[in-house]
Amino acid sequence: MAYVAARGGEQAIQEAERLYHELLGGLSPERVRAVQEALPYLLDRVMGEASLYAPELAALALAQTGGELYEAVLLLRAFRTTQPRLGYAEVIEQDRVLTLRRISAAFKDLPGGQVLGPTLDYSHRVLRLEVVKDGSTAREAAAAAPMPAPSHYPALAAWQREAGLLPPHTLDVTPAEEIPDLTREPLLFPAPRAHQLQGLARGDTGGILTLGYADMRGYGLTHPTINEMRLGEAEVILTHPGTGAAFSAGRVRVSQAEIVTTFAGSNETPQLKLGFAATLGWNEVKVIAAAMLELNMRSPEAHPAHTAEFVLYHTEPVEASGFCIHYKLPHYVTFQSSLEAMRRVREPQSAEVER
Amino acid sequence: MTVAQLAQPWQDHSYAFLDESAKRELRRKTLKAIALPGYQVPYASREVPIARGWGTGGLQVTLSLVGPDDVVKVIDQGADDSVNAANLRRFVARMTGVKTTTDALAATLIQSRHRIPEEVLRAEQALILQVPDPEPLREVEPDISVARQMHADADYGLSWLLLYEQLVRYRRIIQGDSYPALVHGRYVMSPSPIPRWDLPKLHHSAHLTLLSAGREKRLYAVPPYTEVRPLEFDDVPYRVEDQRAFACFRTGVRNKFLNELPQGDGSSRYELSDSGYAEKLLRGDLAGPTYFDSEGKFYHDGYLQG
Repeated sequence: MAYVAARGGEQAIQEAERLYHELLGGLSPERVRAVQEALPYLLDRVMGEASLYAPELAALALAQTGGELYEAVLLLRAFRTTQPRLGYAEVIEQDRVLTLRRISAAFKDLPGGQVLGPTLDYSHRVLRLEVVKDGSTAREAAAAAPMPAPSHYPALAAWQREAGLLPPHTLDVTPAEEIPDLTREPLLFPAPRAHQLQGLARGDTGGILTLGYADMRGYGLTHPTINEMRLGEAEVILTHPGTGAAFSAGRVRVSQAEIVTTFAGSNETPQLKLGFAATLGWNEVKVIAAAMLELNMRSPEAHPAHTAEFVLYHTEPVEASGFCIHYKLPHYVTFQSSLEAMRRVREPQSAEVER
Repeated sequence: MTVAQLAQPWQDHSYAFLDESAKRELRRKTLKAIALPGYQVPYASREVPIARGWGTGGLQVTLSLVGPDDVVKVIDQGADDSVNAANLRRFVARMTGVKTTTDALAATLIQSRHRIPEEVLRAEQALILQVPDPEPLREVEPDISVARQMHADADYGLSWLLLYEQLVRYRRIIQGDSYPALVHGRYVMSPSPIPRWDLPKLHHSAHLTLLSAGREKRLYAVPPYTEVRPLEFDDVPYRVEDQRAFACFRTGVRNKFLNELPQGDGSSRYELSDSGYAEKLLRGDLAGPTYFDSEGKFYHDGYLQG
């Protein structure tokens, strides 16, 4: 009877929470700092899903939950949603992002060049056992390149547009405060493109990968290519409310991916078509899968599993995880109701239709 | 001017947690829902510090309505002391300081999951039902855009067909909880997963009922004194759960919704699901009139044919 113990329920839930934190050990500023320093990619994942760029708070959320990612994202989302909007940052274009890594699979070389930047892509995935075995802390410092790489790069898509391979780019001039905001409005269909991109940006990393992978494996367009993938730092340019001067409030880590497919448009003059995704934080796997989904969601013959409605509803991390764990709640009233209906059908006198 | 001057003085949270813009949106959408009985109004549905699917829709409505003079009751499966009800009540009290109660008649706001209290609620009370799935057409049309169009056209043929197929297959209508109902002769709504026993209580009720799905971002309402009819064939009447043969082992009461409790010897015993009502009976307090009397007769004469 502990589940719905008379008068005990309230004490039981408080003790259960205390027990969780007791097993985790105490929360301290040192622990939060350690998480923030050691796990930047985990922070990026959580900040992306939370739509809140705040590394210190993300570290706090991770420390407070012991790394339970869905709980950490919910903590940050619940905090974020109550915060007032003090301003809107300026729109930033690709060529203004301080870019640390930039890859194109579409061309061997391209204006600005390929820049590997920091990556584990070509590492040998070998556990460094000597660290735990011998206490080794040896590391090899990266050598500086003879020529420093440029900090900014033109968009490959700009070159493709110039060459007529992509349709011309019409700049969306919607004022920032009027851009549809998924966190302040319900998601309705057909969803505005802003909602679609926001939904993918804050989507569950695992969920986005699952559906994106289904596209890649065979349920989507057949020949997607990574046009460009970037990791960078974007200036947050605000307008000072007093002086009206633009100023940078700091930089946020961002990642973005473009997926390109051939033979879109008309049969006579086929063109390329771009899928796009971007997130706060460096989340490479997620933006590639999300750009793949974005492209497929807009295709006229999207697989049922890749329509905007299916993708956006089912990759929402807070909603999906919350609903999943809600099945732990008691359901004995509904169960009783269905059981009663089933027993009536099982009754021997139930051969006739009930009237 | 400095950024510090623009920012509000620091406080951990607003009264009732939600910021004022969130409350304003909820109140506007609530008014719209009341104006269009049974119509699902989309709303932003902010995150709250409770897991989605655990009553966040009901909680947002409660938080947008609650004021310092309110008295709040929270139940889950009819029980005030169910763990999640205890948690939600603790949260509302912590964010507002309002009084809480287990007495359905003493409360001004009742937030509930899966049950409507047995005692007849009054005009000045509001019942807020937590809703997991607001879409009564989900079973026949999983695409929400198509379902919206069907509501617009009052195209409910598939819902009737579903019930008819149950009759053909099982000779009974086997819908347990969440029985679809036509509200004010216009929209079919899901009454949330309340048992069939509770659905008639919404018909021409004195109190206001608000139904809110946080995860699905929809809220809808049954205003006071509104027609609520379960989908029912002329020759196959709607039936509530038949528990006539059983009595509550603690109070001896019959003809109320009972929980079945399996026993070690293979038998079952039964107890009142409405724990606040049971509490009153056990203390010997005067309980209010109930929707179903001690003989099982519903208080709106002639409403139930089955």
